[in-house]
Amino acid sequence: MIKSIARKEIRLLLKEKGTFFWLLVLPILFIVLFASVFGSAGSSTIKVQYLDMDHTAASKELLQSIERIDGFELKTDSTLSLEKQIASIRDGKLSALLVLPQGFEANLQSGTGPAEVTLYRDETANSSVAPIQAVLHNIAGSYRDANIAQALASSGMNEAKLKQVLTPPIHVAEKTENVIPFDMISQVVPGYTVMFVFFVIISMTRRFISDKDTGMTARLSSTPMRPLSYLIGMWIPYLLVVVFQCAVLLSFGHFVYGLELGDMLSVIIIILALAFCVTGLGLALSVFAKSENQGIAFTQLIAMGGAVIGGLWFPTEMMPKFMQTIGHFTPQYWAQQGLKSVILHGAHLQDIWLNVLILLAFAVVALLIAMLQFPRFMRQAAH
Amino acid sequence: MEYALQVSQLQKSYGQKTALHGISFQVRTGTCFGLLGPNGAGKSTTMKILAGILAPDSGSVHVFGIDAVQRAGDVRKVIGYVPQNITLYEKLSAYDNLIFFGEMYGLQGATLKQRISEVLEQVGLQDRARDALSTFSGGMMRRVNMAAALLHRPKLIILDEPTVGIDPQSRNHIFEMIRQLNQEGVTILYSTHYMEEVEVMCEDVAIIDHGSVIANGSLHELLAQYGTQSVYVETDGAAAPDLASVPGTSAPHGSGWKIETDDVLRTMRSVSDACLQSHCAVARLEVVRPSLETVFLNLTGTSLRDA
Repeated sequence: MIKSIARKEIRLLLKEKGTFFWLLVLPILFIVLFASVFGSAGSSTIKVQYLDMDHTAASKELLQSIERIDGFELKTDSTLSLEKQIASIRDGKLSALLVLPQGFEANLQSGTGPAEVTLYRDETANSSVAPIQAVLHNIAGSYRDANIAQALASSGMNEAKLKQVLTPPIHVAEKTENVIPFDMISQVVPGYTVMFVFFVIISMTRRFISDKDTGMTARLSSTPMRPLSYLIGMWIPYLLVVVFQCAVLLSFGHFVYGLELGDMLSVIIIILALAFCVTGLGLALSVFAKSENQGIAFTQLIAMGGAVIGGLWFPTEMMPKFMQTIGHFTPQYWAQQGLKSVILHGAHLQDIWLNVLILLAFAVVALLIAMLQFPRFMRQAAH
Repeated sequence: MEYALQVSQLQKSYGQKTALHGISFQVRTGTCFGLLGPNGAGKSTTMKILAGILAPDSGSVHVFGIDAVQRAGDVRKVIGYVPQNITLYEKLSAYDNLIFFGEMYGLQGATLKQRISEVLEQVGLQDRARDALSTFSGGMMRRVNMAAALLHRPKLIILDEPTVGIDPQSRNHIFEMIRQLNQEGVTILYSTHYMEEVEVMCEDVAIIDHGSVIANGSLHELLAQYGTQSVYVETDGAAAPDLASVPGTSAPHGSGWKIETDDVLRTMRSVSDACLQSHCAVARLEVVRPSLETVFLNLTGTSLRDA
């Protein structure tokens, strides 16, 4: 009987086009959208608009030294006058403009005073202008170092001593510890997979409430079917749906974005634990909710609330400490951390067993609630 | 006498509201038994208890001698319950729905396919078997609704208002199916608020009102005991007959007059005389059979249609 109910439920699911939209199309759209927004964040180039009014070797050398820095790209529009370009900053069309005035090289070579360059900027665009400012200060510093080196060399200091003097007293060493370089795809793909898995609860609730309201559950009670067979038969198809959904979404991440999934056995075990957890919650909510709307409201709360505090939208490290603590009480956190551990850090079963255990604990508690609430659901269905 | 169903002192309450006040009746094996009553009388609650969906607060139900409360599983195998609502999956085909219900009754493989073919023939929908139910008319869906309860060859079929809101063709089809099943020895428990259906289909009747059985017996007994015979006369409308001298109680009815009487022949002669004296052209003059409507009216003081 369980098999019959499950088979019927799968037939109904296949007829329900909306389910595929919610469970597959929408998460793929979200992955594509957020991958394109955040996926290129690390390699984005800052464009520096400039106006060279000096047209000398010195002005060109300064501009080239900016262009040589990774992440910066120069651009100019010689058709627009200085006034018009400044007006563009006022209008918000341009965040900054670097101007090398006429006489820049002459001032630089005279050595009587600093050769000025002007950075016109939008006062409200601090975040985008700050890197340009930092680069300019850095370049100015290197010019100053060159002057100092020249002065010291002419005073007779040898090259080794000169190098020692000009070496900064502090060196900031930068080392990346990720086994695989971090990118937002590793956050977005598992994040939205885990998030949209929870929307299966809506489908589950809708089907249970529909059976109850149309009298189907009552009618089935008049057959030799055991109530527990109904519960299990209605549950199994959604377990399969979640596994299928995860497989499709992670495969999408792998084949479209080149996401390396790492240890497949670990990924599969996390997905299975997540499937038990989500469908367990789905069962509990399906037999608890009095109406479809109530079921949808609870699902949104669990899916969206858990997504935010469970670190599915952005890494938990970016959230306040108390939010991170609350996040530990969501199954989304443990699923996402488990998947990220495998995908990003090359974790294996021995590293993610706690995540799996906690997801299964959520599943057991949810299934117990479902079992306790189920007789009440059957009584309501009979009336 | 062998009984398919014995209901004794059945009580059921929903919170403060009492739905059934200790109802009792018996259904003879192989008969068609009508449970007649207005909406809200307690028919569906009774049907659900008999089908094993609801548990009674007290009282007993025996189906073919088996205690339906103690051995609900055994009873469910011999009962086919057709609920009042169309309870099918409209997105699935008639065939897929029947596969599902057949499997719920424990049928499988070739036996199930054979039974599906037979019940589809019974309900006259073989050619639409693979179509989604959402493309069916209400009447066709009602027929599939009934077919789903026949797959396992039940000995007792419980029909809860099976003809509500359907076209005459489907209604006739359902009546024909019930007659055929009844002829094959299947016991039918037929719940309805349409008294005409009970008069046409059933041998025995229980009339239920406000959760109590107010009359119970064979249709003939009830009509004889509580029904009233009457004579109906209708003229061409040019002149009204003077019925003052006619024995019995006369009252306008439809396009003519109805005279309730214990002596039909004498009343008909009096009406004929009155029409002749009044020079009325008689359009109809006939004996009106006693009906369950008058039985219900005599028992409750209200018309079944108004209750």
